[in-house]
Amino acid sequence: MLSGEIIFIIVLILSLYGVVVAISFFAVRRMKQNLKKKEIDARHRMYELAILKEISDRTGYSLNIQKILDVIAGSLNQFLEYSVAGYMLIGADKIIFKADLERSVSPQFIKDVRMRMLKSLEAILGVSVPDAQVEETITGAVMLETVLEPVRSYFNIPLVVSGKLAGLLTIAHTKEGLYKEEEIAILYKIVNQASRAVSKLEDVVRTEQSKVAAMLEGMVEGVVMTDRDYRVVAANPSAKEVIGYTQEGMPTFFDFTTGLKDTFDIKTKLEEATKLDKVLASDDIVIKGKHYEVLVSPVKANTGPAKGQILGGAVVFHDITHEKEAEKMRNDFTSMMVHELRSPLGNIKKIGEMLKSKEIVENKELSAEYVGMLYESSSTMLDLVNDLLDVSKLEAGKFDVDKQQVSIKELIVDRVKFFDTSAQGAKIELSSYFGERVPERVLIDAKRIVQVVNNLLSNAINFTPQGGKVMVACFMHKKGFNIDEEAHQQNIQWFDVDERKISSAISDCLVVAVTDSGEGIEHENIGKLFNKFTQFSSSIREREHKGTGLGLVVAKGIIEAHGGTIGLGSKEGAGSTFYFTINL
Amino acid sequence: MPKKILIVDDDKVFSKILKDAFLAGGQGKYTVVAAFDGEEGFATAQREKPDLVMLDLVMPKMDGIGFLRALRAESWGVELPVIMETGMDDFKKMSDGVELGVRGYIIKTDYSIEAVLRQVGDILKV
Repeated sequence: MLSGEIIFIIVLILSLYGVVVAISFFAVRRMKQNLKKKEIDARHRMYELAILKEISDRTGYSLNIQKILDVIAGSLNQFLEYSVAGYMLIGADKIIFKADLERSVSPQFIKDVRMRMLKSLEAILGVSVPDAQVEETITGAVMLETVLEPVRSYFNIPLVVSGKLAGLLTIAHTKEGLYKEEEIAILYKIVNQASRAVSKLEDVVRTEQSKVAAMLEGMVEGVVMTDRDYRVVAANPSAKEVIGYTQEGMPTFFDFTTGLKDTFDIKTKLEEATKLDKVLASDDIVIKGKHYEVLVSPVKANTGPAKGQILGGAVVFHDITHEKEAEKMRNDFTSMMVHELRSPLGNIKKIGEMLKSKEIVENKELSAEYVGMLYESSSTMLDLVNDLLDVSKLEAGKFDVDKQQVSIKELIVDRVKFFDTSAQGAKIELSSYFGERVPERVLIDAKRIVQVVNNLLSNAINFTPQGGKVMVACFMHKKGFNIDEEAHQQNIQWFDVDERKISSAISDCLVVAVTDSGEGIEHENIGKLFNKFTQFSSSIREREHKGTGLGLVVAKGIIEAHGGTIGLGSKEGAGSTFYFTINL
Repeated sequence: MPKKILIVDDDKVFSKILKDAFLAGGQGKYTVVAAFDGEEGFATAQREKPDLVMLDLVMPKMDGIGFLRALRAESWGVELPVIMETGMDDFKKMSDGVELGVRGYIIKTDYSIEAVLRQVGDILKV
């Protein structure tokens, strides 16, 4: 009985032991399996980190996906077994296919891989990709016709940069049943991380580029930036204008070389600037009729691992046309002035020489004529010197007016009388007009205003043909009324002076105007009349009319120093009205 | 038979001096006609057929070079002796003048009347 119970207990214990042993056995096995899995995971993780580090080390801040793919493909053998590792990259005008053979395969094998990759690309892109566009490079082991193994294991991973398919990474083997999901996932992760990094970098670059573009956009100077391979990275609207590029978008480097042909060798200059590592300045380059100062400078990285490395070049076009024109005007003015002073001076010298000769001395009439000529030549010179002096005083802001109460009527009547003889000689009818309420006295520098009236009257008489009319009019202007209408109401000889209809804004003042029935002035020349440089040179061409041509420039200065305005209206072939205002 | 000189110059004082120099200093060897711009000068030359032209460079309407070109295009003007009156720095125009067969120059601000008379006398062989 007892022994039966004992046996039962023993059996129970034994079976419990068996269960425990069995459980322990399985537990240990599971533990072992877990450990092994963890070890593999760790190895994969290590590989993953190692390859990411390698990518970042070897490519730096590069945007070159091909370089990144080379790194990945070159290190895959540490982690996977394969016959061929390769990639396909979508370029601008071709597809790069690179395959690295770990062991020899047949050409058919490569062809097969290539076809499978193309098919995948087509499937993802949704367009057909012709095989002819593929540029193939094979490295590693040799291809052998004798190896007849086909592709038995195969997978590819798409490479997406900035949301766009950039290419494919492919692994293929002659053995069957390789590449588990887990391995594919790791590789996918690596490729994904690499492409994310590139995408981010591209974002940064794009933001920087748009910042640069925005900065360049508004610049007056034309700016072109190129990379080391002379591809245009940035070109602002001013730069496009320099080469006459009218299309939308970025011009190519070729557009620049052709646009600057025969005037500026942009490529050689860029080469030189990068080689010498310094800014090259070219003064006065004439492009399409405009003058430019052109600066060519190397562009260097100033941060990151590539610091100090030359990234490309920049060309800046600074338009100096205005400066050149002003310079030319100044030079012309100086030489004209010298000419104008030298001619009468030369004549004075010659007159002196003639006056010494017996023939002249003995001829009373002739010698009197020569004395008259002497007087006239020296007067011409003195007038010119005085005008030049006035102009330089005006420019220096040292032009003083000495205002006193003066009868403007008397002043004008006196001037009309003074010019009457010459007007009669030229058979011109000279008259004056005074409107209502013209004040008895006004506060002016009489000497200076006389100078202005003299100038306007002598011009009017000079430019009016025989039988013409010249009128000096003096009337009141009221604020809110138009000068031209005021003149017409008084029925005086008048050519409209207020083209822009702004005279109603002028406060109450006295208007003095000289109107002639001369040849008139071309509209485009009106603005030049009060400019020292243009006026002086045009007076040379019209030398048949006396005067230095600076009279109007001086007149403007005098009137402005009085706080008034001076202007004119003209009708070609009919005549002109020159007017000025005197504040009350 | 006195030789006829045409002076084409818009500087009336200069023209007058030159004229008097030819008349007074030439002892009856010259008669002088004057014109005061290029166009008038060409019309006068055509009408008067002078033996020599004293020609200014800078003139209104038609300048000295324009006058010369017009002159050389005429059968009567091809060989007509011309003396140009120039400034000291008109090199470009001087060389244009040489191409157009100018026989001599006077520098306007620095010439001697005697030298001009001698030069003209040599050319016209009087």
